[in-house]
Amino acid sequence: MKLKLNTPLGRKIFGRTIRAFSISFWVMVIAFALMRVTPGDPASARLGAGAEEEAIEALREQLGLNVNPFQQFINYIRDLSQGDLGTSLVSGLPVGEIISKTFPLTLTYIAFSFFFAFLISIPIGVLIGWSNKASWVYSFRTFTSVVIATPNFFIAMVAILFFSVQRDWAPVFGYEPGFPGNMKYLWLPIAINTLILVSIISRVLLASVIDTRSEEFVETGIIRGVSRIRFFWFYILKPSLAPTIVLMSYMAGTMLGATVILETIFSLPGIGRELVGAVLASDYPVVQGILIFFGVITVFLSFFGDLFAYLLDRRVKL
Amino acid sequence: MIKRIRDYAALPGGFGIIVGVSMFLSITVIGFARPIFIPYAPDELVGDGLAAPSWQHPFGLDQLGRDMLSRVLAAVPADIGVAFLGVSIPLFIGTLIGILLAFAKNKVFLSLVGSIIDGINAFPLLIIAIAMVTFLGPGLFNVVIILALMNWARYARIARTRAQIVLRENYVEAARLMGYPRRKIIFKHVTPNVSSETLAYALSDFILVIVIISGLSFLGLGARPPAAEWGSMIADGRVFLGEAWWITVFPGLALCWSAISISLIVEGLSRRDRAS
Repeated sequence: MKLKLNTPLGRKIFGRTIRAFSISFWVMVIAFALMRVTPGDPASARLGAGAEEEAIEALREQLGLNVNPFQQFINYIRDLSQGDLGTSLVSGLPVGEIISKTFPLTLTYIAFSFFFAFLISIPIGVLIGWSNKASWVYSFRTFTSVVIATPNFFIAMVAILFFSVQRDWAPVFGYEPGFPGNMKYLWLPIAINTLILVSIISRVLLASVIDTRSEEFVETGIIRGVSRIRFFWFYILKPSLAPTIVLMSYMAGTMLGATVILETIFSLPGIGRELVGAVLASDYPVVQGILIFFGVITVFLSFFGDLFAYLLDRRVKL
Repeated sequence: MIKRIRDYAALPGGFGIIVGVSMFLSITVIGFARPIFIPYAPDELVGDGLAAPSWQHPFGLDQLGRDMLSRVLAAVPADIGVAFLGVSIPLFIGTLIGILLAFAKNKVFLSLVGSIIDGINAFPLLIIAIAMVTFLGPGLFNVVIILALMNWARYARIARTRAQIVLRENYVEAARLMGYPRRKIIFKHVTPNVSSETLAYALSDFILVIVIISGLSFLGLGARPPAAEWGSMIADGRVFLGEAWWITVFPGLALCWSAISISLIVEGLSRRDRAS
């Protein structure tokens, strides 16, 4: 599809792109401001109460805190535009390298969770929504709201109790990289994430399927007698999918947040555990870098989610 | 009284609301009234560590020999109380800012504040809360500050959208034509109609905030050790999961109980909305 900027569609997509970039800019500004506005000096917090004056001064210089805030901001934006997120105070590695080393693992199991959640949610949402039987819908809603209200770390604890402590099905500690081997460690976190995602996604899909059911074109489809597969795909699923896509792109950001806890529980060397480690060690550049990374990813995920939903269903507001 | 409750339960969604409210009230009242009927203090050593649940200690003892029932109930102010603050402060600030934004005319100011709101909302709440702990340090009081600083933006966005719609309604136009001062229009006409929307969001936000408070404490970034808090108790029990499941399971069930009670209310209210 060739995209022209002077068509209404092109203008909409162009405007939304500009917005995604400007929000990303503000994400960087906020990540910068948080470190400077909050009380307390990062350098003395990192070195502890008993540190010497000179050591603190040297660290302030290393963090670039010895110039005025405006100059700091200019330097910060200049470094960021060159892709430089700073260096870790603990390991001395560039933050960009730390992210690119730890993120693939996180991405792997989040992608698996979303894939399975999508596969499971579609039949559940469509079938229960199409039947629209009050008893089914309400028992489904009750079950999913219990899952959603339960914190993921408690689900993880109960799962570990059943699968790792009572039966030796999933190792709790350790990790080994490489595809077939790592699944031994990843299947339980993936299963937990999938359970939570299925509850959230199928609820929204169910609600929109129930809405779609009462549309006039559905009746037309029944009267025309289109084949069952065609009917469920074109008449029921496709018009109901847009809110689910938007929700999934939004949930991806929230899921990234939730991984922090799951990675700590299962001791997986992903980006979330890196963040917690950096927070506990007051490693400012790493915290700031990962914060920016998460913020920008979330912005662009929701941008692509909106865009995809719009292309799927033009009734969506972009 | 009983008849009125029964009538309310017969309304669509009424049963769920009543069950949710009574679940929530029961844990809150029992939690705050704990000293009356539990003889042990939450940090008192009453027996051998890791003792299993018994008639004397229905929830068992933790690794140091503290009564788990007493600790689970002592955590109610820490979790539900802090969550209440963590929801009501952003609710108040966010609603106010959102309404004022709907009135504002200055384009530069509007786009600046709008961008800051979008920028804050771009971060997953748990991630930005964890990052803020680096700058502010751990502790439940700091969790309240973090929520106040970061969570208002979601309310501001909802309030602003709603206020823009309300401002176009006829009754606001009528009030304006009758020459009411702007302050009166804001507080008498716009605020009640906007806050019904933000209050509805606050209810479902309550669940999220409880999970964030306990999640931060679970990671060791929220409540600090001797204090009783569900998330940190679950974290304590993690090491003893094999020999003493009760240290993990009972705080977790308390957490679920309060979150589920709120979600029953949310569910009931939304069913009532759909019915009317």
